[in-house]
Amino acid sequence: METQAAQTLIRSDLLTLTQNQMEMLLPYAWVFVGAAVALVLSVIRFISPKWPVFIVSLLTLGGGVWATEKVIHGERLLAFNNMMIFDHYSSVFNILFLVSAAVTVLASFRYLDKEGLQYPEYYVLILFSALGMMLMASSIDLVVMFIALELMSLAVYSLVGFRRADRKSNEAAMKYFVLGSAASAILLYGVALLYGSTGSTNILDILATIEKTPALVTPVFSVGAWLVMIGFLFKVASVPFHMWMPDVYEGSPAPITGFMTTGLKAAAFATFIRVTMSLGYGKSISAVFQHHMHDALWVCAVLTMVIGNLVALAQVNLKRMLAYSSIAHTGYLLIGLIVGPGNENGYSPMIVYLIAYAAMNLGAFVVMSMLAGREDHGLNLHDLAGLSSRRPWLAFAMVVFLFSLAGIPPTAGFAGKYMLLYSAVQAGEIPLVVIAVLCSAISVYYYLRVIVYMYMKEPAGSPANARASLWSALATTGMVAITMIVGLQPSQVLNIAKKAVNSLVVAAK
Amino acid sequence: MEWFDSHLLTGLTFLPLVFGVLLLLIPAKGTQGKAILKYGALIATLVVFAASLQLWNGFNAAGDEFQFREAASWIPSLGVNYLVGIDGISLLLILLTTFMMPIVILASFTTVETREKEYYFLLLMLQTGMIGAFTALDTFLFYVFWEAMLIPMYFLIGIWGGKDRIYAAMKFFLYTMVGSLLMLTAIFYLAYQHKLQFGSFSTAVVDLYKLKIDATGGYFSTQGILFIAFALSFAIKVPLFPLHTWLPDAHVQAPTAGSVILAGVLLKMGGYGFIRFAFPLFPQAVQQYQIFFMLLSAIAIIYGAWVATIQPDIKKLVAYSSVSHMGYVVLGLFSMNAIGATGAVYQMLNHGISTGGLFLLVGMIYERRHTREISEFGGITKVMPLFAISLMIMTLSSVALPGTNGFIGEFLILLGAWKANMGIAAISTLGVIFGAVYMLWMFQRVMFGPLKNPENKKLTDLGLREVLVMLPLIVAVFVMGVAPNAFFGKMEPSIQKLLTRVQPVAAAPVAMLQERKGN
Repeated sequence: METQAAQTLIRSDLLTLTQNQMEMLLPYAWVFVGAAVALVLSVIRFISPKWPVFIVSLLTLGGGVWATEKVIHGERLLAFNNMMIFDHYSSVFNILFLVSAAVTVLASFRYLDKEGLQYPEYYVLILFSALGMMLMASSIDLVVMFIALELMSLAVYSLVGFRRADRKSNEAAMKYFVLGSAASAILLYGVALLYGSTGSTNILDILATIEKTPALVTPVFSVGAWLVMIGFLFKVASVPFHMWMPDVYEGSPAPITGFMTTGLKAAAFATFIRVTMSLGYGKSISAVFQHHMHDALWVCAVLTMVIGNLVALAQVNLKRMLAYSSIAHTGYLLIGLIVGPGNENGYSPMIVYLIAYAAMNLGAFVVMSMLAGREDHGLNLHDLAGLSSRRPWLAFAMVVFLFSLAGIPPTAGFAGKYMLLYSAVQAGEIPLVVIAVLCSAISVYYYLRVIVYMYMKEPAGSPANARASLWSALATTGMVAITMIVGLQPSQVLNIAKKAVNSLVVAAK
Repeated sequence: MEWFDSHLLTGLTFLPLVFGVLLLLIPAKGTQGKAILKYGALIATLVVFAASLQLWNGFNAAGDEFQFREAASWIPSLGVNYLVGIDGISLLLILLTTFMMPIVILASFTTVETREKEYYFLLLMLQTGMIGAFTALDTFLFYVFWEAMLIPMYFLIGIWGGKDRIYAAMKFFLYTMVGSLLMLTAIFYLAYQHKLQFGSFSTAVVDLYKLKIDATGGYFSTQGILFIAFALSFAIKVPLFPLHTWLPDAHVQAPTAGSVILAGVLLKMGGYGFIRFAFPLFPQAVQQYQIFFMLLSAIAIIYGAWVATIQPDIKKLVAYSSVSHMGYVVLGLFSMNAIGATGAVYQMLNHGISTGGLFLLVGMIYERRHTREISEFGGITKVMPLFAISLMIMTLSSVALPGTNGFIGEFLILLGAWKANMGIAAISTLGVIFGAVYMLWMFQRVMFGPLKNPENKKLTDLGLREVLVMLPLIVAVFVMGVAPNAFFGKMEPSIQKLLTRVQPVAAAPVAMLQERKGN
């Protein structure tokens, strides 16, 4: 029915929204209005806009979470001529984006003061990129997906270069912008080819079309699919499309790096899952193409894990080390993508992992933004020496995050990792699992090395002069709590993720 | 009382952690605060020990295989549940843990001078991990405790250890981690097999025992590979030659309490893992690999003894003696008959007590002289008679003198090994002689001879606290040496049940023991 409607030209009933659709739109509208208000507030001159914008940003993000919570159990709805979908899946991801944006805002407040960069547009950009992520997770049309991706990326490009006077930050922004634009172009080219071979940009329609006529999986379709996949592999920073990433992560302000590793990556994966499903991955359409897709992802996953972990071993800068570790985690997440169709929990372990990773990595970056000196100096390993005696609670929080990143029980990272590996064993990917566990054994070394410096070495030189801000402390405590709760009670998170994935599977039919 | 019994294991597991958190919350400043920490930790472990005695009283060897069972749902969709319970083997190992902990804490009173709060918290957290691992009846739960144990031990070695503590801590962590991650993969595979064979995921031990895993194709059959994944992680923990290299580093660098717990309890985790998981889960593979592991343990026995002989450092000597002694344990287990296995479990207890005692004594002398070089000592008997007596008893227990606990264990192991493979048993028996050589030679060089070194003349004998530390161990050495049947009675039925899963016909050890007593 809906597909037929989509083929006619302009119809007034598609331009109006029903009551339910309006309700479903509330979170997006709320964040958009909040961002607009913050934008207006940021130009006021009679008082400093610092506090008003900060508070409006938090209210926007908090209200967004609340509004999403309200609609999360609602029915699955399509809107805007089947370009957007509101399902459990997008709601779960929306909460993830909003929370990571909120944590980033909390961590940035004192950080920007310290850097002398307390400009209100920073918060506005975070809000817009969060909106972009939310739209990405809920779009089922490749064109809308692309626009949402650009909304998110453009905001993030500017955030990366926010430390204008710093050459590293400038370099990072430039690199990210040029390479990111190239990736976007590749993605768009792929979309065009897919449209050319199936006659639609709607991912549900694409799937329906190739299911009906498998002969349409032509070389043109394959090339289009590959280009789209490459676009996403670039965004999630999978090897061999990862070259931009360490420099960008190192050059960005620390809270933004945290935001990029979690929110941005989650958004890219959220859409990646939808797109791979729409390309018929895991279904018996055109076996050769599916095999190629599987094998290519397999190779990417292995390379990503191995290279990410091995290069991280050699890093002495904490930020750069976490950048490479983020590559490694992308590798684990790709395992989830590969085995998604082959196990009974589907893609839900991946969502659990994304939630766990968001909590622990954001936490680690909040701690880092508290420790960082001006221009993010003082984040080398030896600067952390003796941290446990200087700032015991901060060191403790960092230990929780590091153990979690290393995947040691009873933390969220362990919960996420074993669910991924469990599903991979089920899907019969034993070699992949063995590679993953060996890589994660390697990773233990560099995570623990940070702990060695914090707990087992005497402080050397003058410690970075940083006072803990209430907001950062709040964010850190929250992340520690989530890391531990997800680790101890993973089944609840898994249930949420399962519901999300179920709504996704229904949608793709 | 019934409620108490039915929640005893969970209580016992988490009580130390709760006490530990309470200690963290006490604002401990100054000498008074430190005293509160020390005595608080001591009282906590004594309470746990007292509670664990209820297990001994309540455990009925003739009853069900697993007793004091508790079950709670944890991650139902993956078939993972919180299942705990004990049989005779875990009962004794839990008692060993709870028995050693107060001793270790009492021994730490003067050795640890910095960051006491974290120190006692970590020790108590470690105890939770150890008891949890011995009680877990779910492979996944076991894995969680097994890994969680690493964290406190890593910090104990890394913060309060010796000069190369960081290297040792890292090595300890990485070695264990590599092995255990492969075990985790194998656990997932088993859970999936359970789904294929019985229709639902499960990681519960009793469910997995029922699995039939393909063993055709020799060493690298499915079962063989799974067995290796498990065995590797246990062999690292035991540690079995050639995977033992982390042990001397960890032992030597760890603070006294760390070494005692490492030797006393953590190494037993490996032996326990073999008999609880690897044997009954992979019966055919175990038999295929039997000779291989017996050979490795024979090498460990001889090699450990030889390397121990030439060590100039007492602590390192004791550390290598651990390699040798744990070789006996693996040998006994892989004899795969009831005599050998009983001896092996008994030897695990013995080794915990005697090697634990030796590490404590080494710690005491190190505290006085700040050196452990054997050449620095000589004639210590004259200035430290109580120390000399304690060291003598522990040494004799370690060289398995009849009348001490060590004799029973080693005798049974060699008897069991003899039945399984005469050649290997014969080689291993040489280890007893080498064991006597290095221990007695060390004792002679440290304790006898003229008191040449002027610094040794000022040494003071053991104080009351130190005597209190050693006394329970000395008593245990003789009680276990003279009245082993009380312990055998508890563990024999359990060992029988586990071995029948490997080999339908297992020899009854009771008859053999009676015979031995008759001699």
